[in-house]
Amino acid sequence: MSAGSISYNPDGTLNRSKTKNTLGPHSKIATQAAFYAKVKYGAKISVGSMSGHAANNALQIAMETCDADVLHLYNDPSFAGADTIGTAEVLKKGVEKMEGQMERKMDIVFSGHRATDGETGQTGPQIAWKLGLTFLGNVISYDVDLEKRTVTAKRLLNLRGVPEIIQEIEAPLPVFIAIDPSYKYHFNTVSLRLSAEKYKKEAHEKSQNYQKYIQTFNREGLGAEKTLIGLVGSPTIVYNVQRVPKGKAIRNAKVLDGSNPEHIQQTVTAIKEALSAMVIK
Amino acid sequence: MTEGDYRHVYVVIEHIDGKLLPVSLEMLGEARRLFDDFNSRYSSKEKVVAVLLGHNIQHLSQILIEHGADSVVIVDRPEVAALINKIHTKVICQICLDIETAAKIEPAYAMEFKRPRYMFFAADGIGRHLSSTVLAELDSGLASDVNQLIISDLDISHPVKTGGKHIVYKKTLEMYRVDFSGFLWTTILCLDNINENLSMREYSPQSCNIIPGAFQPIKPDPERKGKVIEFSPKIDEEDLKIKVLSQKFVENEIDFDNYKTVVGFGRGIQDAPEKNIKLIEEFAKQLNAQVGISLPIAKNVFTASPAISSKYMIPARVVGTSGHKISPMLYIVFGVSGAMQHVSGMEDSQFVISVNADENAPIRDVSDIFLKGRMEDVLPLLSEELKKQQITVQVK
Repeated sequence: MSAGSISYNPDGTLNRSKTKNTLGPHSKIATQAAFYAKVKYGAKISVGSMSGHAANNALQIAMETCDADVLHLYNDPSFAGADTIGTAEVLKKGVEKMEGQMERKMDIVFSGHRATDGETGQTGPQIAWKLGLTFLGNVISYDVDLEKRTVTAKRLLNLRGVPEIIQEIEAPLPVFIAIDPSYKYHFNTVSLRLSAEKYKKEAHEKSQNYQKYIQTFNREGLGAEKTLIGLVGSPTIVYNVQRVPKGKAIRNAKVLDGSNPEHIQQTVTAIKEALSAMVIK
Repeated sequence: MTEGDYRHVYVVIEHIDGKLLPVSLEMLGEARRLFDDFNSRYSSKEKVVAVLLGHNIQHLSQILIEHGADSVVIVDRPEVAALINKIHTKVICQICLDIETAAKIEPAYAMEFKRPRYMFFAADGIGRHLSSTVLAELDSGLASDVNQLIISDLDISHPVKTGGKHIVYKKTLEMYRVDFSGFLWTTILCLDNINENLSMREYSPQSCNIIPGAFQPIKPDPERKGKVIEFSPKIDEEDLKIKVLSQKFVENEIDFDNYKTVVGFGRGIQDAPEKNIKLIEEFAKQLNAQVGISLPIAKNVFTASPAISSKYMIPARVVGTSGHKISPMLYIVFGVSGAMQHVSGMEDSQFVISVNADENAPIRDVSDIFLKGRMEDVLPLLSEELKKQQITVQVK
C-alpha cells in the first residue's frame, strides 16, 4: 500500500518568504501517522510540501520522521496568495503527480490538523474532496485491514455544549486522514518495534542527503490550471487586518513588581483574602 | 447576475442524537438579526433557512422556527443519521442547488435561483470539516472561526478581483476572524472575479464557520410561523459502506466547577516548558487548585516530556471560547497575554491575579492584581511566601 503526507504552508494571509521554514507541529504528527503505516503495513511514503523555499528543511524533518521514499516540493510564484481552495488545488495536483509516478492510486493521504499559521483547518478536507477521497478528520488512531481494504479509525469530536465524543468509523480505502494533535503511534509487538527501529535508522541516514531526493515541480510541471490556483483561483481575499480592539479595562489592576519581596507578600495576602471571600470590590 | 441568482442564508444545523447544540441556535439568531436588517434595507424577501439532517428529528423543526428560521429544509432518514462527512456533504450540496426547494422557501425569483447567497456552519468538530468539503464541492469561498458578521455594499479595488478598477460589490458579507495570536482581527470577503483581462467568475455562497458562543440566540417566539420542507436526497450506495461502528461520550475529566482556585498558564512557559509547568503544578497543589491553559498550549507547539504534556497540554484544560468558561473565586494566571479568546473564558472569575513580563499585556485589564515579571522568577517566590504565610496562620 502507499501513503502520502501533505504539509501545508501559509494560507495566503501571511508572507510566505518570511515564514519560518520548518515542519509545522501538526504536519510532523501527520508524518508520524504515515510512519505507522510504513512499519505496520509496509507502505511506501511520498511527502509533498508547497513552499516558497527552495532548500526545504521541512522536507528533511519529514523524511527523518517517516522514512519517506519520495519528496516533492511545489514551488511557483503563481501559487502565492492562495486561499485554502487555491492551495488545495495545488496539493491535489501534487498527490496526482505522486500517483502518476507510482503508477497506482494512493491508499491513504495524511495531513496535519491545521497549518500552524493560517489556522483554518480547511485545506485538508478540501484536498480530500477534490481527490474524491473519503475524509476522516480528528483521527486519534487508525488501523487498516489489508484484505478487506478498509480503514478503521477513531475520531475525537470536540463540540461545545456536550462532552467530547469518540467516534469509531470504518471506511473503504482510499481515505484522507487529517490527524488529531493527540495522535501517538504504538507498536505492540516486538517485531513491529524492531522494524520501527530499522526504519528509523534508515530514515536518519537518508535524511542526511535529503536534497538528493527532492523533486521540485512548478505550475506547469504539476499541470495546474492557472485560473484555479493562487490569487486568481481564490474566492476569498483578506480585506482588512486590524488589531483586535482593546476592550475597556474591566478591572483596575494594581500593578506590582514581581521581584519585590514586599509585593510578593502583598500578593499572597490577596490570595488568602480572595479565598476567604474577604475581598470587597 | 440577476436579482434571483443568489438568495437567502442557509444555516447548517448541528445536533447530537436529536438534541440541538447551542451553536445552532446562536447561528440562527445572528442570521435572523442580519436578515431583518437586510430585508428592510434592500426591500427584499430573502429568508433564513435552517438545513437539518438526521433521523427522528422532526421535533427540532418547531424549535428552529421559534428561534428565527423562516424555513426548515429537513432530511429525516436513517442514511443520514450518523455523522459521516461524505454523505452529509453530498446531501447539503443537493439542497443548496435544488430549485424546487428554493421555490418552496420563497416563490419570488425562484426560477432564477442558482445557489444560496450566504451559508453558515459551526466552527467545531463537525462544521469545520463539513463547511470545507461543502464549499470545495460548491467551489466558493469560506472563512473560518468567524465572530462578527456585517452585510454591506463595499467599494473594492483589487489587482486580481477587479483589475484595479473600483467596483461596488453589493450585499457583501464581511466575515471577521481572530487569528492564531488572538490579537489580529482579519476581515475576509468572498468576491466574484470581475476582471476582464484575467478571470470572470462568480463565487456563491459567501460562507463561514462560526465560533460557538460568539453570537446570542434570539428570544424564542412560540407564535412564529415557518415552513417545514421535506427533502429527498439521492444517496450513493457506495457511500453507505462508510459506517459508524460506535459513538461514545467521554466525560471530560477536567473539572473546574468544584475548585475555588484555578491556576492558568500560557505561552509564557516557552523558555523552559517542562520546568515551568512543574512549577505551576507545585503551586497549584499548594492552593488545591485546578490547572487551566490558554489555547496555544493545547496545540502541541511547545515540547515537554510525555508525562507533562499528556497531563497539561490538552484541549480539555483550555479556558476560553474554545474551551471552558470558568468562574472560580480566584484565578491566578501566568504568562497569558490576554487574547479575547482566553478572556471570554475567565472574565467572570471573582478575583484575578496575573503574572506577565509585559506590563502592557491586555491580561492586565482583566486583573485585580498585575504582577510584573517572568513566571520562572515569580513562581518560586510566591510558593515560598505562601508557605511562610500559611505557617504564620498555623502558629497563630
